[in-house]
Amino acid sequence: MSSTITRPQRTSFLTPRRLRRVALFFASLVLVAVAWELYKVVGPEAGGKIFGWKLLPRANDNAMPHIWEMLERYGRPEVRGSDRKIWSVVLAGAWFSFRLALVGFFVGTALGLGLSILMARFKVAERGILPYLVLSQTVPLIALAPLVVSWGGKLSIGDWTWPRWLSASVLGAFLAFFPVAVGALKGLTSPPSASIELMDSYAASWWQTLRKLRFPAAVPFLVPALKLAASASVIGVVVAEISTGLKGGIGRLIIEYAREATSDPAKVFTAVFGAALLGLAMSGFVTLADLYMMRNRPKEANA
Amino acid sequence: MSAIEINNVNKVFNAGSGNQVVALTDINLSIASGEFVSLIGPSGCGKSTLLRLIANLLEPTGGDIVVNGKSPKQARLDQDYGMAFQQSGLFEWRTVAKNIELPLELKGWDKAKRHERAMEMLELVKLADFAGHYPWQLSGGMQQRVAIARALAVHPALLLMDEPFGALDEMTREHMQSELLGICRASGTTVVFVTHSIPEAVYLSNRVVVMSPRPGRVTEIVDVSIEGERSDATRDNSAFFKGITAVREALRGVEMSDHVRGIEDR
Repeated sequence: MSSTITRPQRTSFLTPRRLRRVALFFASLVLVAVAWELYKVVGPEAGGKIFGWKLLPRANDNAMPHIWEMLERYGRPEVRGSDRKIWSVVLAGAWFSFRLALVGFFVGTALGLGLSILMARFKVAERGILPYLVLSQTVPLIALAPLVVSWGGKLSIGDWTWPRWLSASVLGAFLAFFPVAVGALKGLTSPPSASIELMDSYAASWWQTLRKLRFPAAVPFLVPALKLAASASVIGVVVAEISTGLKGGIGRLIIEYAREATSDPAKVFTAVFGAALLGLAMSGFVTLADLYMMRNRPKEANA
Repeated sequence: MSAIEINNVNKVFNAGSGNQVVALTDINLSIASGEFVSLIGPSGCGKSTLLRLIANLLEPTGGDIVVNGKSPKQARLDQDYGMAFQQSGLFEWRTVAKNIELPLELKGWDKAKRHERAMEMLELVKLADFAGHYPWQLSGGMQQRVAIARALAVHPALLLMDEPFGALDEMTREHMQSELLGICRASGTTVVFVTHSIPEAVYLSNRVVVMSPRPGRVTEIVDVSIEGERSDATRDNSAFFKGITAVREALRGVEMSDHVRGIEDR
């Protein structure tokens, strides 16, 4: 009986499997760069048609600058005559948006959890709230952004006034709360009736059952929900920056640089990569949370 | 003093509606302190429902139940009983020791006292070396032993078990039966045990309550008179076989049906 027993062991953070995944990630980056340059060699300069459909993108240096031009662009100033190199501008922009997205992520997660607890507690609440949650996600963000800005602008509590950046975070939260609410609701209602009966047999209160049973049982459902929420909050913030004209973030940089696409085609790509870095930082943050939350769970559920 | 008194108890599910089900009718049963009683019968006879009425997880439609001299609700609030199910129901995010501490935590015990009791219970079920393991690292039999340790952690006067060994293989099952008897002997716990297995019921019990379905009722109570302490040798004892025959004959009188809606098969 005891032959199959394994001692609980702490696996090291850098397992061969994880190292291999990191190596694969960098290999895939190289592969994309190679494919990009290869297309520039074989692709049609002015774009091309396949069976009459205009499908092939233009391969000229304006539409598709060389990878090395993009990299080299990072080392030059943002605008002629400035001492600020563009890499520091992009990094600062990504950092600015990252902080907004983080605020949006936390606010959205808190809101989603709150709603899911409410819905798990009261069946009536689930029937009343859930359709509106689904509906809320069909409202186009672009339409909502100016509304949030104008509502926020009218808000002030004592000395505190609504900072402009908060509107972007609110829109990030607006996209982030949904997967958390739905995932957590599924998780909170996942314990089998035997477990609920067990807690009842201990005369446990509803809050005790929530803390000791429902919430831990929801964690495996929460992990993928948080991953979705993280990328949703980034999208929300970047789109909000663009549509409300908020300065300082990566979304704004992309719009500004895109205007210069004809004279300085590599410039916009520096900002696009900045946005990609932002997304990576956000998902890295959630992955760390995932590793922590799932550290003592069965490995099948962890895969 | 009797541990459990059940008088004229009825249970009707969905009373008054189209799909009304009479789960139990006219149940009378008195269980003495320290006694081991099994409930046996085909699916739908209401044996699990009866156990849940005693546990106050369900309310009877009629009649009254006294547990440890109190109402079942008071007995539940006072954690007078421990409960174990067919699925061990251990929480996978808690270590074995923490699982056993759960009922003590809910009772507000302090940490040191909780841990001490958990270790004591693990000694009892012979799993002291596995305190720091997680349930998914244990075999099915070991998980069930942890569940029993958890049920006994508050030192309840009464243990309610719903087919706790139903999911185990035969070898582990017989082993666990002997362990359970040893534990109950040591602690003097009263046990109500729901099972499908005739040999299991006879081996474990002082009395076997035979139930029949539609509507669920007690048809016979078989006294098992096996002299002395029960051990693996008991399984070759003629009194054991006599008990099995008696229970089987009592069950034969029960109308069997494969198509009974399993109210209790949750």
